[in-house]
Amino acid sequence: MPTHPGRLAGMAGVAASLLLATACGAGSAAPASIDLGSGPATSGTVKKGALDGVNMTFVSYGGAYQDGQQKAAVDPFAQESGAKILQDGPTDYAKIKAQVDSSNVTWDVIDTDAIWAQAQCGKLLQPLDYTIIDKSKVPEGLATECSVPAMQYGMVLVYNKDKFGANPPKGWKDFFDTAKYPGKRGISGNPGDSAPGPFEAALIADGVAPDQLYPLDVDRAVKKLESVRSNLVFWKTGAESQQLLESGEVDMAMVWSGRAYAGVKNGAPFAVSFDQWMPIMDSLTVPKNAKNPKASMALINYYLGAQQQAKLTELTSYSPVNTDAKPKLDELGQSFLTTRPEAASKALKIDANWWAENQEQMIEKWSAWLGG
Amino acid sequence: MASALQAVTLPAGTRTTAPERRPALLILPALVVLAVFFLYPLVSMVISAFTDPSPGLGNFTWFFGEAQNLRVLGRTFTTALWVTVIALALSYPYAYAMTVAGPRARAVLTLLVLVPFWTSLMVRTFAWVILLQDTGVVNDLLGAAGLGPFSLIRTQTGVVIGMVQLLMPFMVLPLYAVMSGIDRRLLSAAGSLGARPVKAFATVYVPLSLPGVSAGCLTVFISALGFYVTPALLGSPTDALLSQQIFTQVNGLLKWGRGGAMGVVLLGLTLAMIALLAVTLRRGGRRVTG
Repeated sequence: MPTHPGRLAGMAGVAASLLLATACGAGSAAPASIDLGSGPATSGTVKKGALDGVNMTFVSYGGAYQDGQQKAAVDPFAQESGAKILQDGPTDYAKIKAQVDSSNVTWDVIDTDAIWAQAQCGKLLQPLDYTIIDKSKVPEGLATECSVPAMQYGMVLVYNKDKFGANPPKGWKDFFDTAKYPGKRGISGNPGDSAPGPFEAALIADGVAPDQLYPLDVDRAVKKLESVRSNLVFWKTGAESQQLLESGEVDMAMVWSGRAYAGVKNGAPFAVSFDQWMPIMDSLTVPKNAKNPKASMALINYYLGAQQQAKLTELTSYSPVNTDAKPKLDELGQSFLTTRPEAASKALKIDANWWAENQEQMIEKWSAWLGG
Repeated sequence: MASALQAVTLPAGTRTTAPERRPALLILPALVVLAVFFLYPLVSMVISAFTDPSPGLGNFTWFFGEAQNLRVLGRTFTTALWVTVIALALSYPYAYAMTVAGPRARAVLTLLVLVPFWTSLMVRTFAWVILLQDTGVVNDLLGAAGLGPFSLIRTQTGVVIGMVQLLMPFMVLPLYAVMSGIDRRLLSAAGSLGARPVKAFATVYVPLSLPGVSAGCLTVFISALGFYVTPALLGSPTDALLSQQIFTQVNGLLKWGRGGAMGVVLLGLTLAMIALLAVTLRRGGRRVTG
């Protein structure tokens, strides 16, 4: 079959340049020329017009959460700084790795799980610049080298009021007591994400003292979980956990506080118990080789402002990470805030450092057990 | 896929008219797209299976060394097999009914297959979540009939139900394409030679419909092997299929080499099964025609 070599090469060339053009994306102002002003940074502020002509991409988990982030912090930041900000998502660790490994990073600020952020610090994520980010209003210990908290929430115990209202379960021991509290229990069951929760709860139920949880005795935890497997219903996404509550498929569940709130607000007959709840949070991070790290830092600094955090809480029901934030919430919303002193004092202590160091092994053991 | 194409080959005698002298150039853009978006990722996946994190067979020794992986692999194939068998059992009479129905009834039957087919896979899977849940419509109906409740969702049964519904069009359409080409006068001829209807159907009609059966089964089986969303939403983690394990390795653990190795194993076994089927069919075909 005769072909024209010239024409063939031409077509290949067109295809290649098309690919290159899409890969490079639209141009941005050069990172070096950005002037964020002088003096110490103040969270919640940005110099007017400092990022004129800069294109950025903010990445989070979508849904009401990302909408809230956009309205509370990202859009106002874009308006004040002059940056053009695209929303993308959901956060996908494989995509982050692909971008960093190929040195073609199109994501600038990414909302990730806090433990993952700690485990990937210096690997896929870069250290944050705390001369640009003001973390003075962030509770002690929540900001780390590569991440600041994006919001706070918790893994809480919720129970069906109609069924257990007279004698409500208190803590994880009751959660695992299927004789005293018969019925199905929803727990998180994502094989690729072991996250604090089931292991800790199982160990507490098995008699481990809360201050001696770490290092986690996973074999013991798995044995305890196995003993109630036939009563467990696994949810893999927040939406699924909320659906379990609203459809009444479970009588008790270990769920994220924000989803529990949304379910109860939609009429699910559930009540929350803050006994031994487990604090967790999302983090804001900047991937390695990000095109414009200075702009990313400026966005993170703005996001941490008291006003922005209050608004985020009002829009999403997640607890703020700025101690000055004063969100206006109805009574139900208030009762789900994990930063209230009544709730905060009952929390289990989660060892994020231990989790970050052992995350890989935990995922392997967790997915092996889930897979049966 | 060769057999899937055979099922819809043009009637003998029609020839594609050649409007241009170099037909090869016409498919060049398609080839470029295939090379960039299909071949390149496939090759790099295979390479990473052998090189990431270090060159060698480490990812494969890991895969075959873990009992859990083999269990998941077995479950993936048995699930795909169940889906194929059930889809065939439901689709064969359905496609047959389509060929004997009048034009109006046939239009209705075709629409019933195609309309769900045009709805997003995601939406249909979520619909099954609502229908199959413990407090769902299916269990309500069963309860009204004095049965159940059965746990359908988060079990392998639920996964198979959802997958059969999603894949049925891929079985019905090739079956119908072949069946509508079978000359029904052959059945009358068999009858005139003394065959009872059942015998005539089994020895004349069924063998003639086999190309459609193999095309449908192959398409459904191979699609079922790679299913991700439906087992993820309708099954429990205990019913996870290989695609979900790959997701855990790639996304949860960022171990792309392992994910690649799992993909290579799945691809290799699938190709082997197609080859096996092709050989059996050729033998069977010879017996029918020869």
